Amino acid sequence: MVLAQLGGSISRALQQMSNATIIDEKVLNDCLNEITRALLQSDVQFKLVRDMQTNIKKIVNLDDLAAGHNKRRIIQQAVFNELCKILDPGKPAFAPKKGKASVVMFVGLQGSGKTTTCTKYAFYHQKKGWKPALVCADTFRAGAFDQLKQNATKAKIPFYGSYMESDPVKIAVEGVDRFRKENCDLIIVDTSGRHKQEAALFEEMRQVSEATKPDLVIFVMDSSIGQAAFDQAQAFKQSVAVGAVIITKMDGHAKGGGALSAVAATKSPVIFIGTGEHMDEFEVFDVKPFVSRLLGMGDISGFMDK
Amino acid sequence: FSSMFQSIAGKANLEKSDLEPALKALKDRLMTKNVTAMEEALVRILTPRRSIDILRDVHAAKEQRKPYVVVFVGVNGVGKSTNLAKVAYWLLEHDVKVMMAACDTFRSGAVEQLRTHARRLEIPIFEKGYEKDPAVVAKEAIQEASRNGSDVVLVDTAGRMQDNEPLMRALSKLIYLNNPDLVLFVGEALVGNDAVDQLSKFNQKLADLSTSPTPRLIDGILLTKFDTIDDKVGAALSMVYISGAPVMFVGCGQSYTDLKKLNVKSIVKTLLK
Ligand SMILES: Nc1nc2c(ncn2[C@@H]2O[C@H](COP(=O)(O)OP(=O)(O)OP(=O)(O)O)[C@@H](O)[C@H]2O)c(=O)[nH]1
Ligand SMILES: Nc1nc2c(ncn2[C@@H]2O[C@H](COP(=O)(O)OP(=O)(O)OP(=O)(O)O)[C@@H](O)[C@H]2O)c(=O)[nH]1
Ligand SMILES: [Mg+2]
Ligand SMILES: [Mg+2]
Repeated sequence: MVLAQLGGSISRALQQMSNATIIDEKVLNDCLNEITRALLQSDVQFKLVRDMQTNIKKIVNLDDLAAGHNKRRIIQQAVFNELCKILDPGKPAFAPKKGKASVVMFVGLQGSGKTTTCTKYAFYHQKKGWKPALVCADTFRAGAFDQLKQNATKAKIPFYGSYMESDPVKIAVEGVDRFRKENCDLIIVDTSGRHKQEAALFEEMRQVSEATKPDLVIFVMDSSIGQAAFDQAQAFKQSVAVGAVIITKMDGHAKGGGALSAVAATKSPVIFIGTGEHMDEFEVFDVKPFVSRLLGMGDISGFMDK
Repeated sequence: FSSMFQSIAGKANLEKSDLEPALKALKDRLMTKNVTAMEEALVRILTPRRSIDILRDVHAAKEQRKPYVVVFVGVNGVGKSTNLAKVAYWLLEHDVKVMMAACDTFRSGAVEQLRTHARRLEIPIFEKGYEKDPAVVAKEAIQEASRNGSDVVLVDTAGRMQDNEPLMRALSKLIYLNNPDLVLFVGEALVGNDAVDQLSKFNQKLADLSTSPTPRLIDGILLTKFDTIDDKVGAALSMVYISGAPVMFVGCGQSYTDLKKLNVKSIVKTLLK
């Protein structure tokens, strides 16, 4: 995975620092600048990167440190912790319970991968013995219902939608009601793609959310997104109660820095990543191994939970 | 002063901060003149080297009694199919007879998506369902277009990652087999530093994986989702600047009329703001 490339340049920066015999202000600055560059090239939001740099400098007060090997360790740990901090908003996402009906609503920008990911999410849980169901509340995009229907059929998951009805709120409510009655325990609502510049689209999303009262709203984000990531993610969060993030298309070349921005903007954890177009190309996301991989660290035990 | 821009030419993605040193130097130089001169200079630099006049080329093809073929390519979800429909609408407005070819035979709902657009626009569509070889479907579509007197065939293809070798090979085959008049790369303005990689790898793979000694590359760019990025025009700029391929259209919304020509001037204004 290409994240390794970002990890590569960050660990190189740390390595270079390790090679310096004495670690002074300049060495630290060089190292942080290198890391900053790597993060910016991976589309992490400019402000996030700057804040992180400031934080690390605050933590690593060179004058306060005794001479010797500890400095490197402290700087490395500071970098590790800061990256973890960005990716870990502190509280875990709502976890649906098997056997108890939960409604999960998917939202995101156009083409980010919502519909595909809805099925992956359903399929993942179905394999673990859940009874998922899919509701197509995208009445806007051409072929949206056919797409969901074909995916659901392939995965043998019940679905609900309409070719005629144009009101997504109505379909969402009908679908959720039906599957509640059928004792499904994971009712997944797919919605149209939208962006913050169109207020009417956000209002529609708010209405779908209000009518279906989802237990969890998942923001789906494309790993190749650039500097627009933060503002868009934040706008979604301001309209509906985003509680988790899924990053898609991680099989591509993009470094996925938008993920960090999305977490920072929504204050919600990444729960899964999409790694291909097929139903089973879906992985659970875990912050610490992710960051240690990002940093190219083999043995991470020393850095965790200090 | 073009040497000033050499330093940013190799950059993966062009953002305001990259241009700043160059702009400052330029500004100093032009201080005695005026801002308009600086704007003009940037506009000239960002205007692509090649230009294509689709309508003229369509008419030329028509004289030769063969349909003008456009293939839409790009990574997943960028807006290929939607903007294909917008281009169809635009051609209809110019009294061109258009046909669609549903050559995304992979993604669920792709055929129905295109069929819906064809129905709304009241134009013919050639489709063979799913799991067929898209290169062959395209071939048959072009034959059908010759028969039914269509002026243009718009070929939709499945989205694919630029590093996915088997899928890039299949695309290369489609292009080789059908030798389209225009290979249009669809990229989204939302993309970050991956923009340049997408574009250059598509070109590179089309060249490397082609069985032809003279492979076809990307002829032009269609930039989508311009309505979603506010002033973050870096990706857009990088694509124009690095590839040298002209941005033929800009998608700026989800309806048929949301298709524009790239306004380099207004992009430069955004950068200078
Ligand atoms: N390579 C790759 N492609 C993906 C992944 N997830 C989704 N896609 C593709 O991305 C494209 C868009 O996916 P959709 O699920 O239609 O996206 P969406 O967010 O529902 O789109 P709208 O409903 O139009 O907003 C499709 O071609 C998917 O096959 C992934 O993890 N990897
Ligand atoms: N806001 C906005 N949305 C757009 C634009 N162009 C396309 N879209 C939306 O982007 C989403 C994906 O568009 P598609 O045309 O299905 O993309 P695609 O590249 O064909 O996707 P795949 O075939 O799955 O790879 C849809 O929801 C479109 O409505 C645009 O210019 N602006
Ligand atoms: Mg969808
Ligand atoms: Mg498509």
